[in-house]
Amino acid sequence: MGMDRREFIKSCSLVAVMGLLYGCRKLPLDEVARLGDGPTLKQFEDEVKLAVSQAKKQLDLVKVSRPGPLSIPGASPLNRFGMAIDLDLCDGCGECILACNKENNVPLVPEDDAARGRFMHWVDMRSGAPFMCAHCGKAPCERVCPTGAANHTPDGLSAMVYKRCAGSRFCGANCPVQARKFNFNDAQKLGLARKFNKEVPLRDKGVMEKCSLCLHRLQNDRLKFKTQLSVAVAAAGNVSVKNAAENATEWRGRGVTTACSDACKRRAIIFGNWLDEKSPLVQLTKDRVLYAPREIADLDPSVVFMRGRR
Amino acid sequence: MRFSGIKMPGLLKGGLFCWVVVLFVVVFSMFLADFLLEEPAVPERGMSSIPFDHAIHGDSIGLDCSACHTGARASANAYMPSMADCMDCHRLPMNDKLAEEEMQVDLSEKPWSHKRHLPDHVVFHHGVHAAAGVACADCHGTGFRQNRYGGEKFDMQSCIRCHRGETFKERGFKPAATYCAACHR
Ligand code: SF4
Ligand code: SF4
Repeated sequence: MGMDRREFIKSCSLVAVMGLLYGCRKLPLDEVARLGDGPTLKQFEDEVKLAVSQAKKQLDLVKVSRPGPLSIPGASPLNRFGMAIDLDLCDGCGECILACNKENNVPLVPEDDAARGRFMHWVDMRSGAPFMCAHCGKAPCERVCPTGAANHTPDGLSAMVYKRCAGSRFCGANCPVQARKFNFNDAQKLGLARKFNKEVPLRDKGVMEKCSLCLHRLQNDRLKFKTQLSVAVAAAGNVSVKNAAENATEWRGRGVTTACSDACKRRAIIFGNWLDEKSPLVQLTKDRVLYAPREIADLDPSVVFMRGRR
Repeated sequence: MRFSGIKMPGLLKGGLFCWVVVLFVVVFSMFLADFLLEEPAVPERGMSSIPFDHAIHGDSIGLDCSACHTGARASANAYMPSMADCMDCHRLPMNDKLAEEEMQVDLSEKPWSHKRHLPDHVVFHHGVHAAAGVACADCHGTGFRQNRYGGEKFDMQSCIRCHRGETFKERGFKPAATYCAACHR
């Protein structure tokens, strides 16, 4: 035998120890990687400033008509959420970008990416105004997704199911306005991600992301509404409970706002429901001329721009 | 280790056996390590010092789950009771012993710690399900009556079966939302 008994036992135990270390690879190493609470708020602010100062993409806006009910199968006749960005009010300060980053735990990018203008921000500055995914009614990005991770909700959001995303990046290639951002870096491992908002999950490496129209806020509001409504129906005589459901029997997403629209001091970003007469979106866009980027103007965008009065 | 002196016949006879054993040990120790160190699929129930008995509180007094799990009927989270929730009842002179003495425990402010089972990318609202008529035991089973915890199997299969209207037909549940973003973010 080439190995005596002692050597054999030695190598066995060596291998066993190595195996055990291999087995622990995820536990202590990841703990070390996650030490501290990630980057400081200042770093996020600086990155936004950098992005705003570097922004040079321009928008080629064309007139569009007011978004109506969606034509996709199963679409809700009551809700179609969207936004309108008032170009007469916006001064391009970039507060909306920071607010969105904090709301949606958008990670920082490594320095060399930042130098080349490759940010993960869901909002870009284009022509000096915020630009994000338009949640196109006929979204071309969703049609090419091989796993169904990019899909449309009945109420008009172009949603991402991160756990289904296999990272093919077809959607990014098929978005005519480059609204999608791909996680080329493992932001969590690199210490570039910070969980400001526990309502929104952190994304893994190899996953596509973009403006979600603050999906989590709508989800939370819908669930709350439906719970209160059932309670109100059960206790039909109880006036105070009835008021809690505002006497409405269908959820219209009233009162929900997005982080970017909250953050805008000049009220240039209006969020609402295109199909709800009471929505601020409908009321504030009534006498305005609506625009969308030329590339997606015929894709029925839900997020539009407005300028001038009719 | 001296492997240089191995001749072919030796390797084939004793040596090959050695390598098979070494290989087995490697594979086995990796499985062992994963078994010992991997996070369990169902997170452990955060136990407290309180020998709490669900059967006494639920079946025999007839308390609703939401009496202690205060969010179970109206909020997203069901919540674990705080000391104040326990003391709402136990402060009353139920018998001649003091509450602490009766419960034989040293109560901290939050006697139970509970780690959420739910991954970040899944939305589950207890209230909306309770409001729709789903009973706690429909998902949680009845194991807790025997003070067995953590055995429930929550997976998307069971969610989607009910949301498609395949289960609980006899109770007249209507199919619920099945688009991805109804429950995922
Ligand atoms: S703007 Fe781009 S990413 Fe957003 S829905 Fe339209 S095609 Fe898809
Ligand atoms: S709607 Fe929400 S996700 Fe979209 S840009 Fe505004 S803050 Fe970001």
